[in-house]
Amino acid sequence: MGGLLYEISGLRHIYGNQTVLNIDRLEIPQGVIVGVIGPNGGGKSTLLKLVGFVEKPSTGKIVFKGKPAEPFAPQVRLQVTLMPQEPFLLKRTVFSNVAYGLSIRKDTDKIKERVHEALAWVGLNGNNFAGRPWYALSGGEAQRVSLASRLILKPDVLLLDEPTANVDAMSSQLIKDAALKARQDWATTLIIASHDWQWLHEVADSTLHLFKGRLSGTGRENILFGPWEAMGGGRWCKRLPDGQRLTVPQPPDDTSAALIANAVLRAGIGETTSTALPAMSGIVTRLTLDNSSGDVLVSISAGGLPFTVALEQQQLRQLGIYPGRTVSVCYNPADVTWI
Amino acid sequence: MDFILQGFLKAIDLLVTGDAETFSAVYATLVVSAYSIAASLILGLPLGFCLGHFEFKGKRLLRLAVDTGLALPTVFIGLVVYAFLTQRGPLGGLGLLFTLPGIAIGLTILALPIVIALSATAVEGMDRKLRVTLISLGADRRQLFLGIVWEARHGILAAGLTAFGRVLTEVGIAMMVGGNIKWQTRTVTTAIALETNKGEFAAGIALGLVLLIIAFSVTLSVSFLRKRY
Repeated sequence: MGGLLYEISGLRHIYGNQTVLNIDRLEIPQGVIVGVIGPNGGGKSTLLKLVGFVEKPSTGKIVFKGKPAEPFAPQVRLQVTLMPQEPFLLKRTVFSNVAYGLSIRKDTDKIKERVHEALAWVGLNGNNFAGRPWYALSGGEAQRVSLASRLILKPDVLLLDEPTANVDAMSSQLIKDAALKARQDWATTLIIASHDWQWLHEVADSTLHLFKGRLSGTGRENILFGPWEAMGGGRWCKRLPDGQRLTVPQPPDDTSAALIANAVLRAGIGETTSTALPAMSGIVTRLTLDNSSGDVLVSISAGGLPFTVALEQQQLRQLGIYPGRTVSVCYNPADVTWI
Repeated sequence: MDFILQGFLKAIDLLVTGDAETFSAVYATLVVSAYSIAASLILGLPLGFCLGHFEFKGKRLLRLAVDTGLALPTVFIGLVVYAFLTQRGPLGGLGLLFTLPGIAIGLTILALPIVIALSATAVEGMDRKLRVTLISLGADRRQLFLGIVWEARHGILAAGLTAFGRVLTEVGIAMMVGGNIKWQTRTVTTAIALETNKGEFAAGIALGLVLLIIAFSVTLSVSFLRKRY
Protein backbone atom coordinates (compact mmCIF):
# COMPACT_ATOMS: atom_id res chain seq x y z
CA MET A 1 0.00 0.00 0.00
CA GLY A 2 1.23 3.49 -0.80
CA GLY A 3 0.34 6.92 0.56
CA LEU A 4 -3.08 8.49 0.63
CA LEU A 5 -4.97 8.34 -2.64
CA TYR A 6 -8.13 10.15 -1.57
CA GLU A 7 -8.59 12.67 1.20
CA ILE A 8 -12.24 13.62 1.44
CA SER A 9 -13.49 16.34 3.75
CA GLY A 10 -16.87 17.97 4.32
CA LEU A 11 -18.42 16.12 1.40
CA ARG A 12 -22.13 16.83 0.88
CA HIS A 13 -24.18 16.00 -2.16
CA ILE A 14 -27.72 17.13 -2.70
CA TYR A 15 -30.28 16.05 -5.31
CA GLY A 16 -33.21 18.48 -5.37
CA ASN A 17 -33.63 19.32 -1.71
CA GLN A 18 -32.50 15.95 -0.38
CA THR A 19 -29.03 15.36 1.00
CA VAL A 20 -27.97 11.98 -0.38
CA LEU A 21 -24.40 11.96 0.88
CA ASN A 22 -22.84 13.52 3.94
CA ILE A 23 -19.29 12.47 4.79
CA ASP A 24 -17.23 14.59 7.16
CA ARG A 25 -13.93 12.85 6.58
CA LEU A 26 -12.69 9.82 4.69
CA GLU A 27 -9.21 8.76 3.65
CA ILE A 28 -8.40 5.97 1.23
CA PRO A 29 -4.81 4.78 0.79
CA GLN A 30 -3.33 3.73 -2.55
CA GLY A 31 -3.43 0.11 -3.66
CA VAL A 32 -6.21 -1.08 -1.35
CA ILE A 33 -9.53 -2.74 -2.02
CA VAL A 34 -12.31 -0.87 -0.24
CA GLY A 35 -15.74 -2.42 0.00
CA VAL A 36 -18.77 -0.14 0.29
CA ILE A 37 -21.78 -1.79 1.88
CA GLY A 38 -25.23 -0.40 2.54
CA PRO A 39 -28.90 -0.61 1.64
CA ASN A 40 -30.40 0.82 -1.55
CA GLY A 41 -30.50 4.59 -1.38
CA GLY A 42 -27.70 4.62 1.19
CA GLY A 43 -25.46 6.75 -1.03
CA LYS A 44 -23.09 4.10 -2.43
CA SER A 45 -23.56 4.99 -6.10
CA THR A 46 -23.35 8.71 -5.33
CA LEU A 47 -20.08 8.21 -3.44
CA LEU A 48 -18.63 6.29 -6.38
CA LYS A 49 -19.72 8.97 -8.86
CA LEU A 50 -18.07 11.66 -6.73
CA VAL A 51 -14.78 9.82 -6.15
CA GLY A 52 -14.92 8.77 -9.82
CA PHE A 53 -15.07 12.50 -10.69
CA VAL A 54 -18.15 11.98 -12.81
CA GLU A 55 -20.12 14.48 -10.74
CA LYS A 56 -19.04 17.47 -8.72
CA PRO A 57 -20.07 17.41 -5.05
CA SER A 58 -22.52 20.08 -3.89
CA THR A 59 -19.98 21.07 -1.23
CA GLY A 60 -16.76 19.65 0.13
CA LYS A 61 -13.35 18.77 -1.15
CA ILE A 62 -11.84 15.67 -2.69
CA VAL A 63 -8.06 15.62 -2.73
CA PHE A 64 -6.61 13.05 -5.13
CA LYS A 65 -2.93 12.18 -4.80
CA GLY A 66 -2.37 15.30 -2.78
CA LYS A 67 -4.12 17.74 -5.12
CA PRO A 68 -7.73 18.95 -5.06
CA ALA A 69 -9.50 17.48 -8.08
CA GLU A 70 -12.82 17.76 -9.86
CA PRO A 71 -14.47 16.31 -12.99
CA PHE A 72 -12.39 16.67 -16.20
CA ALA A 73 -9.25 17.59 -14.23
CA PRO A 74 -6.27 16.18 -16.17
CA GLN A 75 -4.80 14.33 -13.16
CA VAL A 76 -7.95 12.25 -12.62
CA ARG A 77 -9.56 12.00 -16.06
CA LEU A 78 -7.18 9.37 -17.37
CA GLN A 79 -6.50 7.56 -14.10
CA VAL A 80 -9.87 6.94 -12.48
CA THR A 81 -12.60 4.90 -14.11
CA LEU A 82 -16.05 3.90 -12.90
CA MET A 83 -18.16 0.98 -14.05
CA PRO A 84 -21.82 1.80 -13.40
CA GLN A 85 -24.25 -0.71 -11.96
CA GLU A 86 -26.21 -1.33 -15.14
CA PRO A 87 -24.09 -2.19 -18.14
CA PHE A 88 -24.08 0.60 -20.69
CA LEU A 89 -22.38 0.18 -24.02
CA LEU A 90 -21.85 2.74 -26.75
CA LYS A 91 -23.84 2.06 -29.92
CA ARG A 92 -20.87 0.50 -31.63
CA THR A 93 -19.23 -2.89 -31.93
CA VAL A 94 -17.71 -4.64 -28.94
CA PHE A 95 -14.27 -3.83 -30.38
CA SER A 96 -15.05 -0.10 -30.58
CA ASN A 97 -16.47 -0.13 -27.06
CA VAL A 98 -13.37 -1.74 -25.58
CA ALA A 99 -11.03 0.42 -27.69
CA TYR A 100 -12.84 3.72 -26.98
CA GLY A 101 -10.81 4.70 -23.91
CA LEU A 102 -7.51 4.03 -25.66
CA SER A 103 -8.57 5.79 -28.86
CA ILE A 104 -9.43 9.03 -27.03
CA ARG A 105 -6.03 8.78 -25.35
CA LYS A 106 -4.54 8.34 -28.83
CA ASP A 107 -2.89 5.19 -27.53
CA THR A 108 -3.72 2.85 -30.39
CA ASP A 109 -0.49 0.87 -30.75
CA LYS A 110 -1.31 -2.85 -31.25
CA ILE A 111 -4.90 -2.02 -30.37
CA LYS A 112 -6.38 -5.19 -31.85
CA GLU A 113 -4.20 -7.43 -29.70
CA ARG A 114 -4.91 -5.34 -26.63
CA VAL A 115 -8.68 -5.40 -27.17
CA HIS A 116 -8.62 -9.19 -27.61
CA GLU A 117 -6.47 -9.53 -24.49
CA ALA A 118 -8.86 -7.37 -22.44
CA LEU A 119 -11.81 -9.43 -23.66
CA ALA A 120 -9.96 -12.58 -22.64
CA TRP A 121 -9.52 -11.19 -19.10
CA VAL A 122 -13.29 -11.18 -18.73
CA GLY A 123 -13.71 -14.60 -20.32
CA LEU A 124 -14.80 -13.48 -23.81
CA ASN A 125 -13.23 -14.75 -27.00
CA GLY A 126 -12.18 -11.76 -29.10
CA ASN A 127 -12.63 -13.62 -32.37
CA ASN A 128 -16.26 -14.33 -31.50
CA PHE A 129 -17.18 -11.10 -29.77
CA ALA A 130 -15.08 -8.20 -31.12
CA GLY A 131 -17.20 -7.72 -34.24
CA ARG A 132 -20.56 -8.01 -32.53
CA PRO A 133 -22.78 -4.93 -32.26
CA TRP A 134 -23.73 -3.64 -28.82
CA TYR A 135 -27.25 -5.05 -29.00
CA ALA A 136 -26.19 -8.62 -29.68
CA LEU A 137 -25.00 -9.34 -26.12
CA SER A 138 -26.63 -10.81 -23.04
CA GLY A 139 -26.72 -8.76 -19.82
CA GLY A 140 -23.75 -10.67 -18.38
CA GLU A 141 -21.73 -10.33 -21.59
CA ALA A 142 -22.48 -6.59 -21.77
CA GLN A 143 -21.30 -6.18 -18.17
CA ARG A 144 -18.10 -8.06 -18.97
CA VAL A 145 -17.48 -5.94 -22.10
CA SER A 146 -18.07 -2.87 -19.94
CA LEU A 147 -15.42 -4.12 -17.49
CA ALA A 148 -13.00 -5.03 -20.31
CA SER A 149 -13.25 -1.46 -21.65
CA ARG A 150 -12.05 -0.25 -18.22
CA LEU A 151 -9.42 -2.91 -17.60
CA ILE A 152 -7.73 -2.19 -20.94
CA LEU A 153 -6.90 1.27 -19.55
CA LYS A 154 -4.93 -0.31 -16.67
CA PRO A 155 -6.33 2.41 -14.40
CA ASP A 156 -4.90 3.64 -11.12
CA VAL A 157 -8.40 3.52 -9.61
CA LEU A 158 -11.22 1.19 -10.63
CA LEU A 159 -14.62 1.89 -9.13
CA LEU A 160 -17.20 -0.86 -9.45
CA ASP A 161 -20.84 -0.17 -8.64
CA GLU A 162 -22.65 -3.43 -7.94
CA PRO A 163 -20.60 -5.29 -10.54
CA THR A 164 -22.36 -8.60 -10.01
CA ALA A 165 -25.91 -7.47 -9.22
CA ASN A 166 -27.55 -8.31 -12.53
CA VAL A 167 -25.50 -11.19 -13.88
CA ASP A 168 -25.50 -14.97 -13.60
CA ALA A 169 -23.10 -16.93 -11.38
CA MET A 170 -20.55 -17.56 -14.13
CA SER A 171 -20.38 -13.91 -15.23
CA SER A 172 -20.24 -12.88 -11.59
CA GLN A 173 -17.18 -15.06 -10.96
CA LEU A 174 -15.44 -13.85 -14.13
CA ILE A 175 -16.06 -10.22 -13.16
CA LYS A 176 -14.72 -10.83 -9.65
CA ASP A 177 -11.58 -12.54 -10.97
CA ALA A 178 -10.94 -9.84 -13.57
CA ALA A 179 -11.35 -7.04 -11.03
CA LEU A 180 -8.90 -8.68 -8.66
CA LYS A 181 -6.43 -9.11 -11.51
CA ALA A 182 -6.28 -5.32 -11.80
CA ARG A 183 -4.99 -5.02 -8.26
CA GLN A 184 -2.59 -7.94 -8.62
CA ASP A 185 -1.07 -6.90 -11.95
CA TRP A 186 -1.18 -3.10 -11.88
CA ALA A 187 -1.62 -2.24 -8.15
CA THR A 188 -4.97 -0.69 -9.03
CA THR A 189 -6.95 0.70 -6.12
CA LEU A 190 -10.42 -0.82 -6.13
CA ILE A 191 -13.51 0.66 -4.54
CA ILE A 192 -16.40 -1.76 -4.85
CA ALA A 193 -20.01 -1.13 -3.87
CA SER A 194 -21.90 -4.39 -3.62
CA HIS A 195 -24.75 -6.18 -1.94
CA ASP A 196 -22.56 -9.28 -2.04
CA TRP A 197 -21.04 -8.45 1.31
CA GLN A 198 -19.64 -11.95 1.82
CA TRP A 199 -17.51 -11.51 -1.30
CA LEU A 200 -16.58 -7.98 -0.26
CA HIS A 201 -15.39 -9.19 3.12
CA GLU A 202 -13.40 -11.92 1.42
CA VAL A 203 -11.55 -9.55 -0.91
CA ALA A 204 -11.63 -6.09 0.67
CA ASP A 205 -8.87 -4.71 2.86
CA SER A 206 -11.46 -2.55 4.58
CA THR A 207 -15.18 -1.95 4.32
CA LEU A 208 -17.32 1.12 4.75
CA HIS A 209 -20.98 1.07 5.65
CA LEU A 210 -23.08 3.82 4.12
CA PHE A 211 -26.50 4.36 5.58
CA LYS A 212 -28.72 7.32 4.72
CA GLY A 213 -25.72 8.94 3.10
CA ARG A 214 -23.54 8.74 6.19
CA LEU A 215 -20.65 6.47 7.09
CA SER A 216 -22.01 4.11 9.73
CA GLY A 217 -19.20 1.77 10.74
CA THR A 218 -17.27 -0.87 8.90
CA GLY A 219 -20.05 -3.05 7.56
CA ARG A 220 -19.65 -5.70 10.27
CA GLU A 221 -22.34 -4.09 12.41
CA ASN A 222 -25.96 -5.17 12.35
CA ILE A 223 -28.47 -2.57 11.28
CA LEU A 224 -32.07 -3.27 12.17
CA PHE A 225 -35.10 -1.37 10.97
CA GLY A 226 -38.42 -0.76 12.78
CA PRO A 227 -41.30 -0.71 13.38
CA TRP A 228 -40.49 -0.36 17.08
CA GLU A 229 -43.06 -1.11 19.79
CA ALA A 230 -43.10 0.42 23.29
CA MET A 231 -42.80 -2.24 26.02
CA GLY A 232 -43.02 0.10 29.01
CA GLY A 233 -40.27 1.12 31.40
CA GLY A 234 -38.45 3.02 28.69
CA ARG A 235 -37.88 -0.19 26.77
CA TRP A 236 -38.86 -0.76 23.19
CA CYS A 237 -38.74 -3.79 20.97
CA LYS A 238 -39.03 -5.14 17.46
CA ARG A 239 -41.29 -8.16 17.18
CA LEU A 240 -39.86 -10.81 14.88
CA PRO A 241 -42.10 -13.03 12.72
CA ASP A 242 -41.37 -16.11 14.87
CA GLY A 243 -42.49 -14.34 18.07
CA GLN A 244 -39.05 -13.43 19.42
CA ARG A 245 -38.51 -9.86 20.56
CA LEU A 246 -35.47 -7.70 19.98
CA THR A 247 -35.19 -5.25 22.89
CA VAL A 248 -33.81 -1.78 22.30
CA PRO A 249 -33.76 1.60 24.09
CA GLN A 250 -36.27 4.25 23.03
CA PRO A 251 -35.73 5.17 19.34
CA PRO A 252 -35.49 8.88 18.47
CA ASP A 253 -38.22 8.48 15.85
CA ASP A 254 -40.17 5.89 13.87
CA THR A 255 -37.74 5.88 10.95
CA SER A 256 -34.60 5.35 13.04
CA ALA A 257 -32.57 2.21 12.53
CA ALA A 258 -30.72 0.44 15.36
CA LEU A 259 -27.02 -0.19 14.91
CA ILE A 260 -25.64 -3.06 16.97
CA ALA A 261 -21.87 -3.29 16.89
CA ASN A 262 -20.51 -6.78 16.39
CA ALA A 263 -18.15 -6.47 19.35
CA VAL A 264 -21.17 -6.79 21.62
CA LEU A 265 -22.42 -9.82 19.80
CA ARG A 266 -19.17 -11.70 19.72
CA ALA A 267 -19.25 -13.04 23.29
CA GLY A 268 -22.84 -14.15 23.21
CA ILE A 269 -22.80 -16.78 20.56
CA GLY A 270 -23.48 -20.39 21.51
CA GLU A 271 -26.40 -22.68 22.10
CA THR A 272 -26.92 -21.30 25.57
CA THR A 273 -25.68 -18.23 27.34
CA SER A 274 -25.12 -17.56 30.99
CA THR A 275 -25.15 -13.76 30.59
CA ALA A 276 -28.15 -11.65 31.51
CA LEU A 277 -28.11 -10.09 28.05
CA PRO A 278 -31.08 -10.56 25.75
CA ALA A 279 -30.60 -13.52 23.45
CA MET A 280 -32.01 -14.28 20.02
CA SER A 281 -32.18 -17.82 18.81
CA GLY A 282 -31.09 -18.37 15.23
CA ILE A 283 -29.45 -20.70 12.75
CA VAL A 284 -25.97 -20.28 11.30
CA THR A 285 -26.35 -19.86 7.54
CA ARG A 286 -22.85 -19.06 6.34
CA LEU A 287 -19.25 -18.58 7.41
CA THR A 288 -17.13 -15.96 5.62
CA LEU A 289 -13.45 -15.19 6.08
CA ASP A 290 -12.89 -11.46 6.62
CA ASN A 291 -9.81 -10.65 4.56
CA SER A 292 -8.88 -7.52 6.50
CA SER A 293 -8.96 -8.94 10.06
CA GLY A 294 -8.62 -12.69 9.56
CA ASP A 295 -11.81 -13.16 11.59
CA VAL A 296 -14.66 -15.35 10.48
CA LEU A 297 -17.99 -13.61 9.93
CA VAL A 298 -20.82 -15.83 11.05
CA SER A 299 -24.12 -15.17 9.31
CA ILE A 300 -27.13 -16.08 11.41
CA SER A 301 -30.80 -16.02 10.55
CA ALA A 302 -32.74 -15.18 13.73
CA GLY A 303 -36.49 -14.90 13.40
CA GLY A 304 -36.07 -14.20 9.69
CA LEU A 305 -33.61 -11.35 10.29
CA PRO A 306 -30.00 -11.61 9.15
CA PHE A 307 -27.35 -11.05 11.84
CA THR A 308 -23.59 -11.06 11.53
CA VAL A 309 -21.15 -11.88 14.30
CA ALA A 310 -17.38 -11.73 13.92
CA LEU A 311 -15.41 -14.48 15.65
CA GLU A 312 -11.73 -15.21 15.83
CA GLN A 313 -10.91 -18.51 14.18
CA GLN A 314 -9.95 -20.06 17.53
CA GLN A 315 -13.30 -19.04 19.04
CA LEU A 316 -15.05 -20.54 16.06
CA ARG A 317 -13.35 -23.89 16.63
CA GLN A 318 -14.03 -23.79 20.39
CA LEU A 319 -17.71 -23.08 19.92
CA GLY A 320 -18.03 -25.62 17.13
CA ILE A 321 -19.87 -23.29 14.80
CA TYR A 322 -20.95 -24.64 11.46
CA PRO A 323 -23.76 -23.77 9.01
CA GLY A 324 -27.06 -25.24 10.15
CA ARG A 325 -26.26 -25.13 13.86
CA THR A 326 -28.72 -23.41 16.19
CA VAL A 327 -27.08 -20.64 18.22
CA SER A 328 -28.01 -17.66 20.40
CA VAL A 329 -27.07 -14.14 19.48
CA CYS A 330 -26.58 -11.83 22.45
CA TYR A 331 -26.22 -8.08 22.58
CA ASN A 332 -26.28 -5.35 25.15
CA PRO A 333 -29.28 -3.01 24.58
CA ALA A 334 -27.28 -0.21 26.18
CA ASP A 335 -24.80 -0.44 23.32
CA VAL A 336 -27.43 0.04 20.66
CA THR A 337 -26.91 3.28 18.77
CA TRP A 338 -29.48 4.94 16.52
CA ILE A 339 -28.79 6.11 13.01
CA MET B 1 -55.73 12.05 -68.00
CA ASP B 2 -53.85 12.41 -71.26
CA PHE B 3 -52.11 15.59 -70.22
CA ILE B 4 -50.70 13.85 -67.15
CA LEU B 5 -49.28 11.01 -69.25
CA GLN B 6 -47.95 13.50 -71.78
CA GLY B 7 -46.46 15.40 -68.89
CA PHE B 8 -44.54 12.33 -67.74
CA LEU B 9 -43.28 11.63 -71.25
CA LYS B 10 -42.15 15.22 -71.71
CA ALA B 11 -40.55 15.14 -68.30
CA ILE B 12 -38.40 12.19 -69.32
CA ASP B 13 -37.54 14.00 -72.56
CA LEU B 14 -36.52 17.19 -70.71
CA LEU B 15 -34.33 15.24 -68.33
CA VAL B 16 -32.75 12.97 -70.91
CA THR B 17 -31.97 15.82 -73.33
CA GLY B 18 -30.58 17.94 -70.49
CA ASP B 19 -32.92 20.93 -70.94
CA ALA B 20 -30.92 24.00 -69.89
CA GLU B 21 -33.80 25.85 -68.21
CA THR B 22 -34.76 22.79 -66.17
CA PHE B 23 -31.20 22.18 -65.06
CA SER B 24 -30.76 25.85 -64.17
CA ALA B 25 -33.66 25.49 -61.70
CA VAL B 26 -32.19 22.23 -60.39
CA TYR B 27 -28.83 23.94 -59.88
CA ALA B 28 -30.44 26.87 -58.01
CA THR B 29 -32.37 24.44 -55.80
CA LEU B 30 -29.29 22.39 -54.96
CA VAL B 31 -27.25 25.52 -54.15
CA VAL B 32 -29.80 27.10 -51.82
CA SER B 33 -30.56 23.75 -50.19
CA ALA B 34 -26.88 22.98 -49.60
CA TYR B 35 -26.15 26.46 -48.19
CA SER B 36 -29.16 26.49 -45.90
CA ILE B 37 -28.73 22.91 -44.64
CA ALA B 38 -25.03 23.48 -43.97
CA ALA B 39 -25.77 26.73 -42.10
CA SER B 40 -28.67 25.26 -40.11
CA LEU B 41 -26.59 22.21 -39.10
CA ILE B 42 -23.56 24.29 -38.11
CA LEU B 43 -25.71 26.62 -36.00
CA GLY B 44 -28.45 24.22 -34.98
CA LEU B 45 -26.50 21.17 -33.81
CA PRO B 46 -24.55 22.91 -31.00
CA LEU B 47 -27.69 24.82 -29.97
CA GLY B 48 -29.77 21.62 -30.05
CA PHE B 49 -27.08 19.82 -28.04
CA CYS B 50 -27.09 22.56 -25.38
CA LEU B 51 -30.87 22.60 -25.26
CA GLY B 52 -31.06 18.83 -24.89
CA HIS B 53 -28.06 18.24 -22.64
CA PHE B 54 -27.89 21.09 -20.13
CA GLU B 55 -30.31 22.18 -17.46
CA PHE B 56 -30.60 25.95 -17.15
CA LYS B 57 -33.02 28.66 -16.17
CA GLY B 58 -35.46 29.49 -18.96
CA LYS B 59 -34.88 26.19 -20.76
CA ARG B 60 -38.59 25.42 -21.02
CA LEU B 61 -39.33 28.85 -22.41
CA LEU B 62 -36.55 28.50 -24.97
CA ARG B 63 -37.84 25.05 -25.92
CA LEU B 64 -41.30 26.54 -26.40
CA ALA B 65 -39.86 29.25 -28.65
CA VAL B 66 -38.00 26.69 -30.75
CA ASP B 67 -41.10 24.51 -31.04
CA THR B 68 -43.08 27.56 -32.14
CA GLY B 69 -40.43 28.09 -34.82
CA LEU B 70 -41.37 24.70 -36.25
CA ALA B 71 -44.74 26.10 -37.26
CA LEU B 72 -43.52 29.39 -38.73
CA PRO B 73 -45.38 30.10 -42.01
CA THR B 74 -42.91 30.28 -44.86
CA VAL B 75 -44.52 33.39 -46.34
CA PHE B 76 -43.98 35.13 -43.01
CA ILE B 77 -40.30 34.18 -43.03
CA GLY B 78 -40.13 35.35 -46.65
CA LEU B 79 -41.73 38.65 -45.70
CA VAL B 80 -39.36 39.28 -42.78
CA VAL B 81 -36.26 38.33 -44.78
CA TYR B 82 -37.49 40.48 -47.67
CA ALA B 83 -37.99 43.42 -45.29
CA PHE B 84 -34.44 43.04 -43.98
CA LEU B 85 -32.79 42.58 -47.38
CA THR B 86 -34.70 45.19 -49.37
CA GLN B 87 -32.87 48.46 -50.18
CA ARG B 88 -34.71 50.25 -47.36
CA GLY B 89 -34.09 47.41 -44.91
CA PRO B 90 -31.27 47.19 -42.32
CA LEU B 91 -29.32 44.69 -44.47
CA GLY B 92 -30.19 46.27 -47.82
CA GLY B 93 -26.61 47.36 -48.42
CA LEU B 94 -25.50 43.72 -48.70
CA GLY B 95 -27.32 43.36 -52.02
CA LEU B 96 -28.67 39.91 -51.16
CA LEU B 97 -32.26 40.42 -52.31
CA PHE B 98 -33.12 38.35 -55.38
CA THR B 99 -29.96 36.26 -55.03
CA LEU B 100 -29.41 32.61 -54.16
CA PRO B 101 -27.61 33.47 -50.85
CA GLY B 102 -30.66 35.63 -49.98
CA ILE B 103 -32.97 32.63 -50.47
CA ALA B 104 -30.54 30.47 -48.49
CA ILE B 105 -30.80 32.89 -45.53
CA GLY B 106 -34.58 32.54 -45.51
CA LEU B 107 -34.38 28.76 -45.83
CA THR B 108 -31.86 28.63 -42.97
CA ILE B 109 -34.36 30.44 -40.74
CA LEU B 110 -36.91 27.85 -41.79
CA ALA B 111 -34.63 24.85 -41.14
CA LEU B 112 -32.95 26.06 -37.96
CA PRO B 113 -35.83 25.36 -35.53
CA ILE B 114 -36.24 21.89 -37.06
CA VAL B 115 -32.57 21.03 -36.54
CA ILE B 116 -32.49 22.51 -33.02
CA ALA B 117 -35.73 20.88 -31.85
CA LEU B 118 -35.11 17.42 -33.30
CA SER B 119 -31.44 17.23 -32.30
CA ALA B 120 -32.34 18.45 -28.78
CA THR B 121 -34.92 15.67 -28.60
CA ALA B 122 -32.34 13.14 -29.83
CA VAL B 123 -29.79 14.27 -27.22
CA GLU B 124 -32.44 14.44 -24.48
CA GLY B 125 -33.43 10.88 -25.30
CA MET B 126 -29.91 9.60 -24.72
CA ASP B 127 -29.50 7.39 -21.70
CA ARG B 128 -28.16 9.28 -18.68
CA LYS B 129 -25.59 6.53 -18.26
CA LEU B 130 -23.95 7.61 -21.54
CA ARG B 131 -22.46 10.71 -19.92
CA VAL B 132 -21.17 8.69 -16.96
CA THR B 133 -19.70 6.11 -19.32
CA LEU B 134 -17.91 8.63 -21.54
CA ILE B 135 -16.47 10.63 -18.65
CA SER B 136 -15.42 7.52 -16.76
CA LEU B 137 -13.58 6.25 -19.84
CA GLY B 138 -11.56 9.47 -19.89
CA ALA B 139 -13.43 11.80 -22.26
CA ASP B 140 -12.70 15.52 -21.92
CA ARG B 141 -15.44 18.08 -22.57
CA ARG B 142 -14.91 18.11 -26.34
CA GLN B 143 -14.81 14.32 -26.54
CA LEU B 144 -17.93 14.18 -24.37
CA PHE B 145 -19.77 16.46 -26.83
CA LEU B 146 -18.58 14.46 -29.82
CA GLY B 147 -19.38 11.18 -28.09
CA ILE B 148 -22.94 12.21 -27.29
CA VAL B 149 -23.47 13.59 -30.81
CA TRP B 150 -22.14 10.35 -32.27
CA GLU B 151 -24.40 8.24 -30.07
CA ALA B 152 -27.36 10.42 -31.06
CA ARG B 153 -26.31 10.26 -34.73
CA HIS B 154 -29.44 8.52 -35.98
CA GLY B 155 -31.72 11.10 -34.39
CA ILE B 156 -29.53 13.95 -35.63
CA LEU B 157 -29.48 12.47 -39.12
CA ALA B 158 -33.27 12.35 -39.00
CA ALA B 159 -33.26 16.04 -37.96
CA GLY B 160 -31.08 16.93 -40.95
CA LEU B 161 -33.22 14.88 -43.30
CA THR B 162 -36.45 16.45 -42.08
CA ALA B 163 -34.96 19.93 -42.46
CA PHE B 164 -33.70 19.06 -45.93
CA GLY B 165 -37.15 17.88 -46.98
CA ARG B 166 -38.68 21.12 -45.75
CA VAL B 167 -36.07 23.26 -47.49
CA LEU B 168 -36.22 21.33 -50.76
CA THR B 169 -39.97 21.69 -51.13
CA GLU B 170 -40.28 25.30 -49.97
CA VAL B 171 -41.96 27.82 -52.31
CA GLY B 172 -42.92 30.98 -50.38
CA ILE B 173 -39.45 32.10 -49.31
CA ALA B 174 -37.87 31.29 -52.66
CA MET B 175 -40.60 33.23 -54.44
CA MET B 176 -40.54 36.32 -52.19
CA VAL B 177 -36.81 36.62 -51.49
CA GLY B 178 -35.58 35.16 -54.81
CA GLY B 179 -38.13 36.76 -57.09
CA ASN B 180 -38.28 33.67 -59.38
CA ILE B 181 -35.83 35.20 -61.89
CA LYS B 182 -35.20 32.91 -64.84
CA TRP B 183 -31.62 31.59 -65.05
CA GLN B 184 -30.87 33.33 -61.73
CA THR B 185 -33.05 32.54 -58.75
CA ARG B 186 -35.68 30.25 -60.19
CA THR B 187 -35.74 27.09 -58.10
CA VAL B 188 -37.51 23.84 -58.94
CA THR B 189 -40.49 24.64 -56.72
CA THR B 190 -40.98 28.21 -58.01
CA ALA B 191 -40.59 26.92 -61.56
CA ILE B 192 -43.28 24.29 -60.94
CA ALA B 193 -45.63 26.99 -59.62
CA LEU B 194 -44.93 29.19 -62.66
CA GLU B 195 -45.23 26.42 -65.25
CA THR B 196 -48.49 25.20 -63.73
CA ASN B 197 -49.89 28.75 -63.85
CA LYS B 198 -48.91 28.90 -67.51
CA GLY B 199 -50.64 25.58 -68.19
CA GLU B 200 -47.29 23.88 -68.95
CA PHE B 201 -48.02 20.72 -67.03
CA ALA B 202 -45.28 18.70 -68.70
CA ALA B 203 -42.56 21.08 -67.52
CA GLY B 204 -44.16 21.14 -64.06
CA ILE B 205 -44.24 17.35 -63.85
CA ALA B 206 -40.66 17.12 -65.14
CA LEU B 207 -39.50 19.44 -62.39
CA GLY B 208 -41.58 17.53 -59.86
CA LEU B 209 -39.84 14.32 -60.96
CA VAL B 210 -36.49 16.00 -60.44
CA LEU B 211 -37.50 16.94 -56.91
CA LEU B 212 -38.51 13.34 -56.27
CA ILE B 213 -35.19 12.05 -57.63
CA ILE B 214 -33.22 14.46 -55.42
CA ALA B 215 -35.28 13.53 -52.34
CA PHE B 216 -34.93 9.83 -53.12
CA SER B 217 -31.16 10.10 -53.63
CA VAL B 218 -30.67 11.93 -50.33
CA THR B 219 -32.88 9.50 -48.42
CA LEU B 220 -31.07 6.54 -49.97
CA SER B 221 -27.69 8.00 -49.00
CA VAL B 222 -28.87 8.63 -45.44
CA SER B 223 -30.27 5.13 -45.24
CA PHE B 224 -26.92 3.74 -46.43
CA LEU B 225 -25.07 5.84 -43.85
CA ARG B 226 -27.38 4.63 -41.08
CA LYS B 227 -26.69 1.03 -42.02
CA ARG B 228 -22.96 1.58 -42.36
CA TYR B 229 -22.58 3.43 -39.03
